[in-house]
Amino acid sequence: MADIVSKRAHYSPPWADVCIIGIAGSSGSGKSTLSHAIVSKLNLPWVVILSMDSFYKSLDAEGSRKAFLNEYDFDSPDAVDFDVLVDRLRDLKAGKRAEIPIYSFAKHAREKETTSIYSPHVLILEGIFALYDERVLELLDMKIFCEADADTCLSRRILRDVSERGRDIEGCIKQWFSFVKPNFEQFVEPQRKVADIIVPRGVENRVAITMVIQYIERKLIEKSKAHRAELRKLGQSSEDDPLSNQVLILEQSSQVKGMNTIIQDIDTSAEDFIFYFDRMATLLVENAMNNIYFKEETVETPAGNKYNGLTAIGETSAVVVLRAGSVFETGLKRVLPDCRTGRLLIQSNIRTGEPELHYLKLPGNIETHDNVLILDPQMSSGGAALMAVQVLVDHGVPEDKIVFVTYFAGRLGLNRLTKVFPEVNVVVCTMVADFEERWIERKYFGC
Amino acid sequence: MASKDAQSPKQSVGPDYRSEKQKPIATVSTEVPFETVHILPQTPQLIALLTMIRDKNTERADFIFYSNRIIRLLVEEGLNHLPVIEHTVTTPVGRSYAGVMFQGKICGVSIMRAGEAMEEGLRNCCRSVRIGKILIQRDEETSMPKLFYDKLPEDIAERWVLLLDPMFATGGSAAMAVEVLISRGVPEDRILFLNLIASPEGVGNFAKKFPKVRVVTAFIDQGLDEKNYIVPGLGDFGDRFYTM
Repeated sequence: MADIVSKRAHYSPPWADVCIIGIAGSSGSGKSTLSHAIVSKLNLPWVVILSMDSFYKSLDAEGSRKAFLNEYDFDSPDAVDFDVLVDRLRDLKAGKRAEIPIYSFAKHAREKETTSIYSPHVLILEGIFALYDERVLELLDMKIFCEADADTCLSRRILRDVSERGRDIEGCIKQWFSFVKPNFEQFVEPQRKVADIIVPRGVENRVAITMVIQYIERKLIEKSKAHRAELRKLGQSSEDDPLSNQVLILEQSSQVKGMNTIIQDIDTSAEDFIFYFDRMATLLVENAMNNIYFKEETVETPAGNKYNGLTAIGETSAVVVLRAGSVFETGLKRVLPDCRTGRLLIQSNIRTGEPELHYLKLPGNIETHDNVLILDPQMSSGGAALMAVQVLVDHGVPEDKIVFVTYFAGRLGLNRLTKVFPEVNVVVCTMVADFEERWIERKYFGC
Repeated sequence: MASKDAQSPKQSVGPDYRSEKQKPIATVSTEVPFETVHILPQTPQLIALLTMIRDKNTERADFIFYSNRIIRLLVEEGLNHLPVIEHTVTTPVGRSYAGVMFQGKICGVSIMRAGEAMEEGLRNCCRSVRIGKILIQRDEETSMPKLFYDKLPEDIAERWVLLLDPMFATGGSAAMAVEVLISRGVPEDRILFLNLIASPEGVGNFAKKFPKVRVVTAFIDQGLDEKNYIVPGLGDFGDRFYTM
């Protein structure tokens, strides 16, 4: 075990060290409008808004009674569960998946369900006390304080509470004067002192928004550079290393070579290509299934004889790395017709070549599955493969339960993957030169 | 038939990178000393598939599905014995690949009825393959296998023949089928006999009688019982596949 740890290389996905921006300010000062404006201006899938409303403490009977009478002080720092917030922010900072509670204003309690946030590159934390807790401040990359006239705040708050939170005007006004205003003076306003920038007039303040966006964009470029540099670094030492014994290459029998010849021939018709690729995919998945875990099982035949055989342990699920990975699905379904299948979309950025995670949908309890196959027909630099495995590891799938199945692979990519994740199994049909561009999916889907 | 008491080898099965302790132990195929007999690699997955179809509690739908998976592996291995010539192609990304091209025409011949269960697996790998059929039944008077019917491609003498019959017990029907093929002009060394489970006696007699016919099997069992059924076997394949 110590051996494995010392040899393990480090891979840092682009969502590790997420850039967190805190936006605080009085109720109704336009924090959430500002957050949304930033997100829509950036127009990127990796920017997520986290509202501190999610972290209200669940109320006991007494608190709940008060809340329904508008007598509970939601605008005091005591109403916020900072411990859970800090916990989740630290998870996200470490690149892990974080389960965010859902607070129900109708019940004044947390819902049983949670929403999960995973892999944002930028996280906007928005709430009246976003800059309040010392531990949160340590995690923030940029601290913004939103400012607006008190009368603007009050009128916005009334409009919102009446239409979205089902309160009456009288209740709103009562809350304002008994809680919101005194709390603002005592706890909210002092946060100005720790802010990096103070934004008056909210969304109307184009200059401020542009500044924030430029800052974020610069951060994202730095991240992308760091990610690519990290990938390059992983490659430098590993180009000539022998392959790990966790990498299994299909025996190049005449049948495999014959099918490979048809699959790779530029003149092969689409119909033949799909037929032979599906056939090869089936063989690959059958081979991958030798790497899952089995246990001994004795069965009785119809004639009453005993046979000491094996049976697969638990459930095997699959994760398809889109778009290319879906070329394996016909083969997968021939071997495991009812296999639960997660999907993630990783695309290489056209300009930088950096792999980017665009979409993710995994079986709910994937961490409990006994074997998980990752399907992607081509591995060149290994960037997408590293990312896909990292996603599963972040979702609690143990490395040694992952089998990565690919049709083509280059030595560089294989070495990168197995250096970072030495316990992952890889099944490859055929080795090719490093950095072969992706073409299997294009030929399979005809576009 | 002392072979019933023979023991099949047991060993740990699993990928090489796992330690012996991590690998479960299962009964694996008996080895036989014939160069023409090819046994599929005894992988944990193959053993698990065989466990499934041997189990008397396996439902028919599952029996069919798991049999088909083994049959597909058998066909892929069988096709591996066909001749190829070198053939270099250019790939869609402009690189060249020194590959091979399949030579020779093939056809399937199934021994009715159980052999017909293997046709789908063959078709899955060879889309428009011609398939002949042979019906051999036990003659009630002589209790010897007797040829009742055959329908084979006319040009079978020019083809490689994949002979299909899932259970290879005494090999009586298979031997008769091979004789039919030889009488139609198919050279012995162009016949490949694909089956799921064989008996050491059947394989031995057959390999001595037809030293050039290749046999591809998933598993050679312990032996035959007094009724000439394979032990442990899996029961009547045809019944479990078609009617049970």
